[in-house]
Amino acid sequence: MAGESNIRTALSNPAGWQSLLSFSILALAYLAAFSSRLFAVIRFESIIHEFDPWFNYRSTHHLVNYGFYNFLNWFDERAWYPLGRIVGGTVYPGLMVTAGTIHWLLNSLHITVHIRDVCVFLAPTFSGLTSIATYLLTKELWSQGAGLLAACFIAIVPGYISRSVAGSYDNEGIAIFALLFTYFLWVKSVKTGSIFWAGCTALAYFYMVSAWGGYVYIINLIPLHVFVLLLMGRFSYRIFVAYCAFFILGLVLSMQIPFVGFQPIRTSEHMASAGVFALLIAYGFLKYLHTHLSSLTKSEMRSLFVFAVAASAAAVLMAVVYLTYAGYVAPWSGRFYSLYDTGYAKIHIPIIASVSEHQPTTWVSFFFDLHVLVCTFPAGVWFCIKKINDERVFIVLYAISASYFAGVMVRLMLTLTPVVCILSAIAFSNVLERYLVDDTPKIHHIEDESEDDEEGDKRNKSKDLYDKAGKVRKIRHEPSGEPESLGGNVKTIVVMAVMMILMMFAVHCTWVTSNAYSSPSVVLASYNHDGSRNILDDFREAYYWLRQNTDDHSRVMSWWDYGYQIAGMANRTTLVDNNTWNNSHIALVGKAMSSNETRAYEIMKALDVDYVLVIFGGVIGYSGDDINKFLWMVRIAEGEHPKEIREGDYFTPQGEFRVDKAGSKTLLNCLMYKLCYYRFGEMQLDFRTPPGFDRTRNVEIGNKDISFQHMEEAYTTEHWLVRIYKVKKQDNRVRLDHTARKTDIKPKTKFTSRKSGKRKRGFIKNKMLIKKGKRPSSKNKKPSRKTSSKK
Amino acid sequence: MNRVAYELVVFGALLASCCTANQGAIGGDLVNSAVNRQIDLTSQLAKFTTTITLENAGKTATTSFVLAIDPTLRDRLSFIGATTKDDDAEKLSVTQTTVPGRTTDVLFRVDLRKALGAGQSTTVTVDESYTHAQTPFPAQITQAEDQLVLFKGNLHFYSPYKTVSETTTVKLASNKIESHTKTKAKVEDSSIVYGPFENVEPFSQEKLQVHYENNTPFLAVTSLLRVIEVSHWGNIAVEETYDVRHSGARLKGSFSRYDYQRQLDGRSSVKSFKTILPAAARDVYYRDEIGNISTSNLNEQDDAVELELRPRFPLFGGWKTHYYIGYNLPSYEYLYNSGDDYALHMRFVDHVYDDQVIDDITVKVILPEGSKNVDLSVPFPVDRHPDELHFTYLDTFGRPVVIAHKSNLVEQHIQEFTLKYSFQKLLLLQEPLLVVFAFYILFFTVIVYVRLDFAISKDEASESRMRMQGLLDQLQASQDKRTSLYQRYEDAIAKFKSTKDLAGFTGSRKKIDAEHKDLTTAIKELQGKLKLESTDMAEKVGELQKLDVNLKEQIVLSITLAEKVVAGKMGKQQYVDNEKVYSAKREDIMGKTETLLSSL
Repeated sequence: MAGESNIRTALSNPAGWQSLLSFSILALAYLAAFSSRLFAVIRFESIIHEFDPWFNYRSTHHLVNYGFYNFLNWFDERAWYPLGRIVGGTVYPGLMVTAGTIHWLLNSLHITVHIRDVCVFLAPTFSGLTSIATYLLTKELWSQGAGLLAACFIAIVPGYISRSVAGSYDNEGIAIFALLFTYFLWVKSVKTGSIFWAGCTALAYFYMVSAWGGYVYIINLIPLHVFVLLLMGRFSYRIFVAYCAFFILGLVLSMQIPFVGFQPIRTSEHMASAGVFALLIAYGFLKYLHTHLSSLTKSEMRSLFVFAVAASAAAVLMAVVYLTYAGYVAPWSGRFYSLYDTGYAKIHIPIIASVSEHQPTTWVSFFFDLHVLVCTFPAGVWFCIKKINDERVFIVLYAISASYFAGVMVRLMLTLTPVVCILSAIAFSNVLERYLVDDTPKIHHIEDESEDDEEGDKRNKSKDLYDKAGKVRKIRHEPSGEPESLGGNVKTIVVMAVMMILMMFAVHCTWVTSNAYSSPSVVLASYNHDGSRNILDDFREAYYWLRQNTDDHSRVMSWWDYGYQIAGMANRTTLVDNNTWNNSHIALVGKAMSSNETRAYEIMKALDVDYVLVIFGGVIGYSGDDINKFLWMVRIAEGEHPKEIREGDYFTPQGEFRVDKAGSKTLLNCLMYKLCYYRFGEMQLDFRTPPGFDRTRNVEIGNKDISFQHMEEAYTTEHWLVRIYKVKKQDNRVRLDHTARKTDIKPKTKFTSRKSGKRKRGFIKNKMLIKKGKRPSSKNKKPSRKTSSKK
Repeated sequence: MNRVAYELVVFGALLASCCTANQGAIGGDLVNSAVNRQIDLTSQLAKFTTTITLENAGKTATTSFVLAIDPTLRDRLSFIGATTKDDDAEKLSVTQTTVPGRTTDVLFRVDLRKALGAGQSTTVTVDESYTHAQTPFPAQITQAEDQLVLFKGNLHFYSPYKTVSETTTVKLASNKIESHTKTKAKVEDSSIVYGPFENVEPFSQEKLQVHYENNTPFLAVTSLLRVIEVSHWGNIAVEETYDVRHSGARLKGSFSRYDYQRQLDGRSSVKSFKTILPAAARDVYYRDEIGNISTSNLNEQDDAVELELRPRFPLFGGWKTHYYIGYNLPSYEYLYNSGDDYALHMRFVDHVYDDQVIDDITVKVILPEGSKNVDLSVPFPVDRHPDELHFTYLDTFGRPVVIAHKSNLVEQHIQEFTLKYSFQKLLLLQEPLLVVFAFYILFFTVIVYVRLDFAISKDEASESRMRMQGLLDQLQASQDKRTSLYQRYEDAIAKFKSTKDLAGFTGSRKKIDAEHKDLTTAIKELQGKLKLESTDMAEKVGELQKLDVNLKEQIVLSITLAEKVVAGKMGKQQYVDNEKVYSAKREDIMGKTETLLSSL
């Protein structure tokens, strides 16, 4: 009988059900996060996507093959020819080390997984972890129910999926997990004020630093949080302990990453954290003094205190400004500056502006990436502000700053997405708590819980026990005070509406993921009328041709977008790549592409170029080709060589960029144009269009008579998407392309003067005719000449 | 060349039975009375089919004769085999031999099935295949040009015996002949007939040279790695890694996609080829280092799986590519066993494309973990490399890998090898048990971790909470029992009223009283313990006790009332009224107790 009752209590024990339910919801969220990112693998194959992931994959491969220390010391002579690139010191190694560790672990357990598969599936794996980290963070901020909702949201929200589908092996894939986990630990350490949690925060921060340049966001947001708490008069020793421990450990740890090095103490981006640290110490010191100086009156004390804090804040600010001015601290870099002035990059750094993901976000993309969450997220902010406490200040600051950054740059949508999920989950959880509960007493029960959370988490665990008496009392008091008479129908309608919205959200997420974010972009697919699929594999065709049929050390010139892919798939030396660290080198390539062939040949000779690779979409109508990117090449080249390249030359007098007959002569004869359209003028794609009809730009090309002097076509892929040209070695004797001008014209009939005999020679009047002996014979003459030449 | 010679020597050594015969004399009494040679140059190979009518002009019978390989081609020899028409085209054994005095020649001894008596004659057909015997000339051509190749051979049948009469037919891939040796030649469309030549001396050589157009694919597998992984769970996985090269005339100048797409030229290039896989092949894949090669078609037929492979790019002269294909086979078709002894019976090399040329092949057979006594037998000589160990899923001490290597193979080498080994069937259970054990350990650690307390400092609050929870559980149980006692009281009263058995009633009442007392003291004890944890709780329990005392009073009143009515001291109506009041009071107290309990 006792056993039976045990079972009964276990079954009716709400805590047991709750943990089982939340565990299974989290497990399902993990599964959903993982599997919704597999569209590309199922539709295509297990392959690395896009551009940057190819570099990451290549360096992970290096790490796996040669070990960690060789990876840190890796000098890549195959990139940025002839400069090379110190990869170990210019890369965030977190991603590679994570994948390498997983690979090592699996292989030491004799689970023989290829490193490529580890890399492909790393992002989905970490997305699952992100959803768990989101759950933890939201649970700390609000309640368990909101946490579960947030975990489900982040698992499928397109704004995050866009950067973490299987194969998108990029820093962001693991960085968002690191970011949220760091925030969770920070909130935890603010709540507890324990050094242990602060230490954990610093470790998570270290991982974040090793993984992504976005760590700067953490090291500015946490000090901002502390600063705002100080302003709000919410200083406590918990915050003091948490921040000081975090700052010092985090600073020391972050400096261990070679790429970061001394930046944390030398650049403006990090100065906010140091300033807040100094301020916090000063504040703490004044508080300490406060306890000892009891002679002053309260008001005196207060004004002194405010003055002292303001003075120390000003001193810190002055110190930073001075250090920046004196050159000890580097000022804001252009990349960061462009976050404040959106027009800055367009004028000063065209290379940053040329990347589509650095453009400002459109309104549509907010809805596209976040759907209903973007509408409910302000409600979540409002709930947090309404019931404010230390850690909710943090999430509000996070929401505000991330919204701003996401508005500035499409790419930073990624940092906004988690906070949108968290706050929307809070909003939804509030609505559901109000409308989904079936009976009045239970509503109070849950509301009490949330209030308890607000007071602190200590009681949370013991809610089954000694809080009950109080709650019962509340039942007695409150019904009279609160007009709590929602009809059953209203509740049902509201709940159904919310469920509808959430369902539509899930459908939208799946649709976006499957249609917009699951293309490897290395492989293209087109669909026929009957629904069957054609795979256009031109990129790999060309890269593999390069890999197999060119010399191992040949150098390939292409626009920088394809640098990483050429290095990764073709394994050939490139001149420029997606790590755009050297603007002038890129400008040189841009100059070569936008000059005429003769000028370009000089540049290519100087750079030892063997092959030139261009992307040409005119045959299949691929819009991301080099002609469409061409203006950026011109602009970047103009930035460095303003005398030789002028953007205006490439436009028609009306200011249009045209490739047809009306296009400017400079454009129609530049190297890029010729490389793209070589022999294209002969090609007739179908009977309705003239030969040489460019499908991307829908015009007939203007220059059909293209011939090369210094180059020859080496390979063109099946759909002409990639064209590779070989740069010919210089001839021993430079041949003229026209017939030589004759300068030694000799008359056909020998000219004979009509003057004869003495009259032939002209004479000077009164000049004496002098004879100086006799001319020697020819035999004697020759040796004398030789001796003279020897002299 | 050295390698070929070396292998042939190994080949000779393997066939120990002919050890003595290997160094025999040529046997000068034999005469080739009629020789008819067919040189097939329609593909990239040079296939010789020679029909020899052999006559024993001597006095003694002979059981073997010697074949000599033409010195201009001997480095390129890939395969030699002989059949005789006497008894249903049976294969004859061909072994390499050396003859004193002719050390530079490569010689083979063919054992005849029946001794050839004096004056008798027999007909033997000899097949030879030579790889890379046709060299492109010119060595470089542009995309628009046709591929011309040059074949150099011997106009006569190179034999240690005198040849009475011989003819040679050279079959070409096309009828465009640039030049050819004119000696007794007759051109018939795409073939040239030489001869007949009469009374040719032994070992006579005369240049035969043909220069003609051959646009057939000159494709060579420069290296092939064939890995066969045997699993005793019913699967054999095969993966083949290829390095393929177009060995024809190299492409000069540029490759124009425009011209290639108009199908006007590039005739010697290779666009695609067919590989024939076993009929049982499943899960076929075709990949390279950068992923799946999407340009392939799979055709399943009754007796084979046809895989049409298109390399990523068309192969022009000098271009090469690298890829791997893999597939699974059911093991019951290839793996045989009796008890613990197993035999794997598979092809050493499989079909890659028609008229294939494989320069080098390495075959690796991965056997299940724990296989012993490995014995490999291949129908032609191969190099055995030392065995290796391979580690993959759930392996502890590694799977043995048998490695064999051979160079210069053609279609005729598609033959089966047999690999015998022994394997204890019980070892099959090792891997599932390993998994079971691993999961056991995992769950056990979780259990231990959850059940035991590893905290180094005591958490007073939570411990007190837990103790209190335990006490409250006990309290709840006691209280439940006590409440049930009242029900029993009522039952006893009802029974008493109906039976009027005073003695029985008193007995049961005493019994219940005793139980009640026990429970009350027990609750009191619990109250004392609870006081240590929380006075608040203890107070509540005190209230509970008070309520219980009240309840008890009520029930006692009710009992006296019942006694009265049974004794007849009270009227029935009065009893019913009183009892109603009491039971209402009881209900009230019971209700209070419930709410108090639920608030605990």
